[in-house]
Amino acid sequence: MRREDPVNQTPVPGDHVQQSTSNVGRAVLAVLMLGVAGWMYAQRPTSTSQAEAGTTPPPEAMPADLPGFRPDAWFLPDDDLLGFVEIPAGPFQMGGDPTTDAQAFENERWSGASAQGTVDLPTYYIGRYEVTVAQFAAFVDAAGFSVGEQTLQDPPHHPVSAVSWPDALAYCRWLGATLRASNDTPPELSRLLRDSWQVTLPTEAEWEKAARGTDGRIYPWGNAASRDRANYQGPDTTPVGSYACPDCPYGLRDMSGNVWEWTRSPYQPYPFDPADDREGLGADALWVMRGGSFNDPPRNVRAAIRGGGDPGARRPFMGFRVAISPL
Amino acid sequence: MSAARRRRPQPRRQRGTGQGAQTARRQAPPPSPLRLFWVPLALTLGLLLVSFVPRIQANVGLTRSLWAAVVGLLVWQVALFARLRGTAEDRSFHTILRPQHYLQASVQVAVFVYWGYFWRPVYDHAWLLVAQLLFAYVFDMLLSWSRRDNYVLGCGPFPIIFSTNLFLWFRDDWFYLQFLMLAAGFMGKEFVRWQRDGRSTHIFNPSAFSLGLFSLVLIATSTTDLTWGLDIATTLTLAPRIYLFLFLIGLVVMYCFSITLVAGSAAIVLFGASALYSAVTGVPYFIDSEIPSAVFLGLHLLVTDPSTSPRTPLGKTLFGVLYGLGVFVLYSVLSAIGVPTFYDKLLSVPLLNLSVQWIDRLVRSLQDSAVVTRWSPDWTPARANLVHMTVWILFFGTMTAIGATDGRHRGDTVPFWEQACGEHRLQACDRLIQIESNYCGDNAGWACNELGRHYTEGTIVTAAPERALGYFSRACEVRFQAGCVNLLDQEHLSRADPRVLDLRLLLREAGRNLLEMPEPEVYARACDHGWRFACDGRTP
Repeated sequence: MRREDPVNQTPVPGDHVQQSTSNVGRAVLAVLMLGVAGWMYAQRPTSTSQAEAGTTPPPEAMPADLPGFRPDAWFLPDDDLLGFVEIPAGPFQMGGDPTTDAQAFENERWSGASAQGTVDLPTYYIGRYEVTVAQFAAFVDAAGFSVGEQTLQDPPHHPVSAVSWPDALAYCRWLGATLRASNDTPPELSRLLRDSWQVTLPTEAEWEKAARGTDGRIYPWGNAASRDRANYQGPDTTPVGSYACPDCPYGLRDMSGNVWEWTRSPYQPYPFDPADDREGLGADALWVMRGGSFNDPPRNVRAAIRGGGDPGARRPFMGFRVAISPL
Repeated sequence: MSAARRRRPQPRRQRGTGQGAQTARRQAPPPSPLRLFWVPLALTLGLLLVSFVPRIQANVGLTRSLWAAVVGLLVWQVALFARLRGTAEDRSFHTILRPQHYLQASVQVAVFVYWGYFWRPVYDHAWLLVAQLLFAYVFDMLLSWSRRDNYVLGCGPFPIIFSTNLFLWFRDDWFYLQFLMLAAGFMGKEFVRWQRDGRSTHIFNPSAFSLGLFSLVLIATSTTDLTWGLDIATTLTLAPRIYLFLFLIGLVVMYCFSITLVAGSAAIVLFGASALYSAVTGVPYFIDSEIPSAVFLGLHLLVTDPSTSPRTPLGKTLFGVLYGLGVFVLYSVLSAIGVPTFYDKLLSVPLLNLSVQWIDRLVRSLQDSAVVTRWSPDWTPARANLVHMTVWILFFGTMTAIGATDGRHRGDTVPFWEQACGEHRLQACDRLIQIESNYCGDNAGWACNELGRHYTEGTIVTAAPERALGYFSRACEVRFQAGCVNLLDQEHLSRADPRVLDLRLLLREAGRNLLEMPEPEVYARACDHGWRFACDGRTP
């Protein structure tokens, strides 16, 4: 009488079990598990510094060489201050005045009493260019930072896009720590960082002053739109600094167009107050982005334009530039 | 003919190409092994077809996983066919439908249907269950035919696949690992064996073996995120009255297969230990239940495989008690080392399977003692099982009556754990971190910001600035403003009350869709759950 295993398909005595294959089978099982364990170890998340936006390993977006940028210095611009430009202390007129700028939006109005307000800023430094794909890739590579699929897809010298607000801040933190630790950092930058200046995003006041200077112009180069000066109403991003702008104050590039740029200011009604970022903590967060992008109309690339961005959004028209401020 | 190839009489109920037909055919020239290979081939092609359904085509990694499985199975079939070609060896089926398999599978399907009604990813997983079943049949068949001449065709793979998937499945991008997990289970059944009661039998419950092995690997490599494990463990309670549901379907299994002593004693131990801990410390042991629903499921449908557990009443009772204690201890151990606690129910089973012979010996020695003999009633197994079931029903009824099963649990609110942590209750701060981690994983920005604060301050958990930044980032990305502000300044941390969206996540309850609940009701409910800010009509 055959005895059956009550539950499983257990071979019963008398079946043609080949004992010699049992050892092979166990060995295969052991190898399988070791292989799986090794493979899964390789799959484990590598970044612990940031909420995981995506899990795609970063592509190699760092070229061996890039004219105008230094591969040996995290692909920062090849000049005395690694692309940082000093913006001297002093006041400027902030906001959009409909009497001189008919395209001004309501959210650019300073207050019920006046269209613009005066903001006095101390000296700070801001990047001549938007942060590039190569620069962000250097960060991703060095910090083991996880990014979404789109972030590093553009060519190395294009502005990085599809970065969230926390992603942009993470880059700033990394760059600040890296510049502090490096012996190759220009002495002037080293001194600033030793004096507790921070590499961070610009406030929207810092951004606007850097864009329009102190003479209240509508666009960085003057009061009339000009597609010779910036990348807007176009199909895609262009390499940073592609548009010469001899009329722009402080020699900055792409303040209008190419990509919207994150700031470290919460999106709130004017008047601007750098100390009010703890207001409205119960509301859903929106952070100011500035400058318009490659696919925006002229109205959206004015120096006073303000957009409220979802800090978790990663869009192909949103990037950032870096500032060094005395926080 | 060697002993290894000698045939033995087959039971009368076997069908198809059973022994009788084979005996008659033995006079004829050896049939081609190709004769039956159309079955695995057809199933493999079925797997290939499944790979073209939209659910699977939607993910490249998933599609490739299925194709890789198809290629692997086809290569194996070709190799096996080539090996057998020209030899006298034949391959056959024995068709045996065992109630242990199809009844258990039916019960498991019932769980999937009920749970999936309240948590849609289960229904989205249906095609992947089909794919796994096809894979399992072909793999099991080829494994058997590679080692012997017959394969018992029945419903055996069903409970193995369903049981595995009730506790763990890999995310789409890594679904090839699911096939490897199943393969490990079947290989464990085939190769990891011992002699028990004079017979060669597999040591481990196949699904528990693969779940246990892969749990260890996932823990060791910190890759739990590649799976749905955490979601699976925490979403069973989205189905209302899940304990009652599991209890009722568990009765079916208990009645048919006499597993009452295993499941019942495990549950009683867990209820008892949990109540004792709560009485001593003032806080629940398992955060929001007396027994986690997934553990309750496990003790009905994972640990109760009769062929890998003791067969005597005392042995079954000991087995259940050890399972209960194992889960209880592992929960704390895993929690202490920072590993997701849902592995507790998975890691215990293989260890218990290994202890079966020891339990058998212990029971045999005890059975000789006068005490056991005196207390062993002279009941038939069926009658004894009914008595055990009656005790279990009474026990579960009592637990339900005192609110220890379905219904609101005092540990399911964050304010409770905040207060307990503040009062320095045992492990309360660990539980607070754990519960906030769960809610942060659900994208409750408030919980992420609180975690960031804890890891920055380092008062109730070891400070970890980088980790804190990660939590602040996550809070910020789900638009919780305090999280964003904290990214700018970790010296002066900001806090805020949960937004209404956070409350909808923090207060979720079985069977109720809080995302559609009117705001005033959400706040009333929050007030009822200890969120004081929600009681004064103040909204963020």
